[in-house]
Amino acid sequence: MLPFEQSFITIISLSTPIVLVVVGETITEKSGVINLSLEGTLLITALTAFAVSVMTGNPVLGFLCAGLVGSLVALVIILCDTKLGINQIAVGFILTIFLGKLSSFLGREFVRIPGPYFPRLSIPILKDIPYIGPSIFDQNILVFISLLLIPLTWFFLEKTRFGLIVRSVGENPDSAQNRGINPEKIRLLATVIGGLIIGFGGAAFSLHAKFGWSENHTGNYGWICLAIVIFGGWNPVRAAIGAYSFGAFQLIALKLQSVALGLTQVLPLIPFPLMILTLIFIQRFNRSKNNKELPGLLKIFFGGQEPESLGKPIEKK
Amino acid sequence: MNSIKKLPLGTFFIKVILTLLVASIIMVLLGTSPIEVIRSIFDGAFGRPEKIVKTMLIFLPISLASLALIITFSGGLWNIGIEGQIVLGAIGATWVAKSFFGETLVSPIIQVIVGMSFGALWGLLCGYLKVKFNVHEIFGGLGLDFVATGAIIYLILGPWSRSGIASTSGTDIFPKESWFPTISSLNIPALSIIIVSIIILILILFLSYSRFGLMLRATGINPSSTNKYKFNSNHYIYLAFILGGAIAGLAGVFQASVFYHKLVPSISGGYGFLGILVVLASNRRILPTLLLTFFFSAMIAGGSQLQLRLDLHSSLISILLSSMVFFWLIFNSSKVNDLLHRIIKRN
Repeated sequence: MLPFEQSFITIISLSTPIVLVVVGETITEKSGVINLSLEGTLLITALTAFAVSVMTGNPVLGFLCAGLVGSLVALVIILCDTKLGINQIAVGFILTIFLGKLSSFLGREFVRIPGPYFPRLSIPILKDIPYIGPSIFDQNILVFISLLLIPLTWFFLEKTRFGLIVRSVGENPDSAQNRGINPEKIRLLATVIGGLIIGFGGAAFSLHAKFGWSENHTGNYGWICLAIVIFGGWNPVRAAIGAYSFGAFQLIALKLQSVALGLTQVLPLIPFPLMILTLIFIQRFNRSKNNKELPGLLKIFFGGQEPESLGKPIEKK
Repeated sequence: MNSIKKLPLGTFFIKVILTLLVASIIMVLLGTSPIEVIRSIFDGAFGRPEKIVKTMLIFLPISLASLALIITFSGGLWNIGIEGQIVLGAIGATWVAKSFFGETLVSPIIQVIVGMSFGALWGLLCGYLKVKFNVHEIFGGLGLDFVATGAIIYLILGPWSRSGIASTSGTDIFPKESWFPTISSLNIPALSIIIVSIIILILILFLSYSRFGLMLRATGINPSSTNKYKFNSNHYIYLAFILGGAIAGLAGVFQASVFYHKLVPSISGGYGFLGILVVLASNRRILPTLLLTFFFSAMIAGGSQLQLRLDLHSSLISILLSSMVFFWLIFNSSKVNDLLHRIIKRN
């Protein structure tokens, strides 16, 4: 196998959890809710997945439990917001700290122990296609699921009626309500579904990309994913491209480790300045009154629209 | 927050007891004994004079971070960027500590000035992104936090690396001339205590009794309506970020020059985020904030005993603190307050 093809396969495979998380968070944010707890949710779901799969010997069960935990966390955030009137940012922030530290506490017994691997999906013929074959059709099922979710989420958000409703609630919950939609219910659904996928993402860390468990196992990945969602301009396809680019960055950093010490630590921080740049471009061009359009290539990378009511609670009438 | 109906003071204590009860239940669920944990924490925080000094050293930066956050929260701003502002303050202090020595006090005072300016600049950058480019301060702040992390790692492994070998364990220890003066053999951080006390007094005056405080709160409540009253809320957003950033930067100076005497990658100790927990629970009031900070610092200082004595993971403390803040917010939410009100009325 060519070294370049090998790198390609590695990037696709290692980016799996990040792709899942950014897709889940994009669905959540499209409905106007920020699930700020990613950093904590990833840690606790990664631990859940690994611990359950070690204890039961069944990684699929671990994967499903992680999804359940992810959606439970999301449920807490959205219920605090809509039912108790506690700011979603505050709850997300507190849960970030709480769940992260809880994972350190509960995960003590699982540090660096072996565990069962996730089943592989190997499709004859298809797996022999160069590049695509080995990276999709001769891989862990998780890789396949993540790749399938990208177009599905895009189709769901952009082309279905329910996707339109989710987006309209994210833009303006008031006018959605006037059209007979219950924005609270839609936000609850979008947040919980998003949380489920984020939980799967956490599982994909400990069952696949970064196998096993250690303290702070997915450290900083939650914050990085929040940045990539914005870099993706709230578009699941672009967010996924952002996730793969990040995977490529990581691989380069790893390869250069022997050349320049410190690069491995500094290079993973690239998404953050990029996030700020994207936000500047988005606000500068897409929302300006004179409707200046971004030049072609920049538009592809830095276009996109922030959901108008992102992070704002629904005002009760 | 917005429930106008006054509840009797008794409900406040009921809420406190409920919150402590929740913490005890969590301790039991995690397989620990609340009484053992509390005794161990108390002993670890106040057991000997040296331990009280250590608690003090933890209290000082956290109280600064919390005070910085009171300013930004009053302006309605989510200053997630505070961690980066602390880091920048520490970088500023290190830069001074490595370059100027001179007489006692000279270096520390320059460190305070430079560190506060660095923090203020980092805060201002976040405010500038918000005002000029409409970048939400949560995302702008988060981004700047990690840019600061990148900078500190670069400095520690690169230009400021230890003589001999670069390592993530930090820079060389600062020369003694750059340390903050302390008194008695216990090394009580006298200068730091004086500086923090002055800042507390200034903030009480400014936030509660000045036009600045009033306008800042008006900005926080409704930034767009302020145009009607002929003042520019953007100026107050800038001011809040500059002041908050400066005070957070000072926390970084203390971390580098008073606590570690060197620059380490995790110089902020997570105190910025901890401050956010404190101020969420204290609802931006200064005295409750200081009391809570004291409580939090004692728990952190005492928490180091848990591992030694009870073989408990040190993360237990953060688990307890964050869950207590969470349930405190629930017990103080408008829904629960309304419920309490109805119960009291019926009896």
